[in-house]
Amino acid sequence: MFLMMRYCLLILLLLILPVEIMAISCRAEEPVQAVSGGVSSETVSPGPDQAVPDNRSHSKHNGTGNTTEDEDFDYDDDPFKSERVTIDDPIESFNRTMHNFNDKLYFWILKPVATGYKAAVPEPARISVKNFFSNLRYPARLVSCLFQGDFAGAATETGRFAINTVWGIGGLMDPSAGKELNLQMQDTDLGETLGVYGVGHGFYIVWPFFGPSSPRDSLNFLGNQVLYPLSFLNIWYASLMTTSVETINRTSLRIGDYEALVEAAIDPYVAVRDAYAQYRMHEVRVRKAKSLFFKDNLPGDAMPDSASHPKPIP
Amino acid sequence: MFGPPQTVSRESGGLNTAIGYRYAQDSYSDQKDYVVRQHQIYSQASYGSSKIWEIYGRIGIADLKILDAFKSASVLTTTSKDHFEENWKFFGTLGAKAFLPANRFFGVGAFVQGNYNFSNFTDDITGIQGGTPFVADWKVKHLWDVNFGIGFQATAPCGVKLYAGPYVYYAEADVYFSGAVTGLPSQAPSMLLNNKVIAGGFLGVDIPLARGFRLNVEGQYTDRFSVGSAVTFTY
Repeated sequence: MFLMMRYCLLILLLLILPVEIMAISCRAEEPVQAVSGGVSSETVSPGPDQAVPDNRSHSKHNGTGNTTEDEDFDYDDDPFKSERVTIDDPIESFNRTMHNFNDKLYFWILKPVATGYKAAVPEPARISVKNFFSNLRYPARLVSCLFQGDFAGAATETGRFAINTVWGIGGLMDPSAGKELNLQMQDTDLGETLGVYGVGHGFYIVWPFFGPSSPRDSLNFLGNQVLYPLSFLNIWYASLMTTSVETINRTSLRIGDYEALVEAAIDPYVAVRDAYAQYRMHEVRVRKAKSLFFKDNLPGDAMPDSASHPKPIP
Repeated sequence: MFGPPQTVSRESGGLNTAIGYRYAQDSYSDQKDYVVRQHQIYSQASYGSSKIWEIYGRIGIADLKILDAFKSASVLTTTSKDHFEENWKFFGTLGAKAFLPANRFFGVGAFVQGNYNFSNFTDDITGIQGGTPFVADWKVKHLWDVNFGIGFQATAPCGVKLYAGPYVYYAEADVYFSGAVTGLPSQAPSMLLNNKVIAGGFLGVDIPLARGFRLNVEGQYTDRFSVGSAVTFTY
């Protein structure tokens, strides 16, 4: 009996943790698609306030070992240019191993479980479950907003939490995001808070189970522990079950995103790494643009549109 | 709280949710009459469509106070307190309503609603009976009621809805005693309390606020007066 419980625990752990691969990779997918709509991330030119990246060293990671004509082309006059974002990768061999490990965990365990869950639970119910857990992450978002000097964001988060808890049936629904109220979630974390304060990524690291990160963004592990109410559940299996449900549910809503990213990339590891770095930099910029303390430090043309004009969910 | 006869959900069908508070009073009777008071706080989710029907459910907490439940009728018995009181316990409500519009402004609807308190209410007393100290407790179990009513609704300018109507109801609760105490109605192991009257009336107003919110205020009268208020959000 005890042995069975240990096996069950092991399986559940394997199910829970690799979702972070999906979470970060899929959040990072949008910037990749945006870039690939114009020029590839391998060929974008640096912005004025960004150090000139070493294209040759970057091409080392593309898996082909070849350079293209685009790399020698001068894009200074390209109106659609975007910043080249890089992140140091001194432990690439370790990271690649962890990337493969996480990839296998996803395809072999998490995805099949999430697919079954998706077949059994209708989408509105899964979205409600996602809303419920997202609502519980309010303390982390609130603290991040406050530390970033985004007091409007903190007020928005507080309003969202109150309304969604009271009129959203304990957070299962998200009336705040509707066009009537238009209180959009401030999707931020402690890693971005450090980024707003000017702390750089450091280097790229792929955590087993948790996926792409950096020393700076690894602070989110602490935030997720200390500022997440469910982590204080005293009964270990209750905490494990809630984490499992949250992970499987979240994955079920994103099946196909990670696959699309991997299939489109020559080297999925590089694609995920670059997308991660670009996504995090973009998010830090968005947060800086909302900060009362730091928004003046942004270059004039660097303020993302999404920072000041959130779109309501129809 | 019954709410306006006509659903506030979108015509194409949709949810509305509410948070409400109700101060409820009623008279229950067995051998003698008892005034029962409850403060209820609840969250409600409703689904309605076509502006003619709605189903809803509530989950909430309520306390219970039965006035003079422990007041001894005998000079031989003195008790430490007069009232049965117990703090917040969970209750649930299910209901459905249908509405028939007569024209743009008037209509008539019907509803049925049932409430059930999931938990037992317990309170204990100490006292002296014939010179001997005693301790006793009462348990109120299976407190529930079912209501059926007809509501007439008038829609005023700015979407304000006024409504009123009669309703009938049945309510009961089982009360269990730990032991017999002279002067208290605890000679039998238990008693069944029922509502003293079976019909009443209600009157309410539903006012649109900003951004999809509405304020509902309602009063009910049976043997006693009850009042409640809820803030509704329409998705």
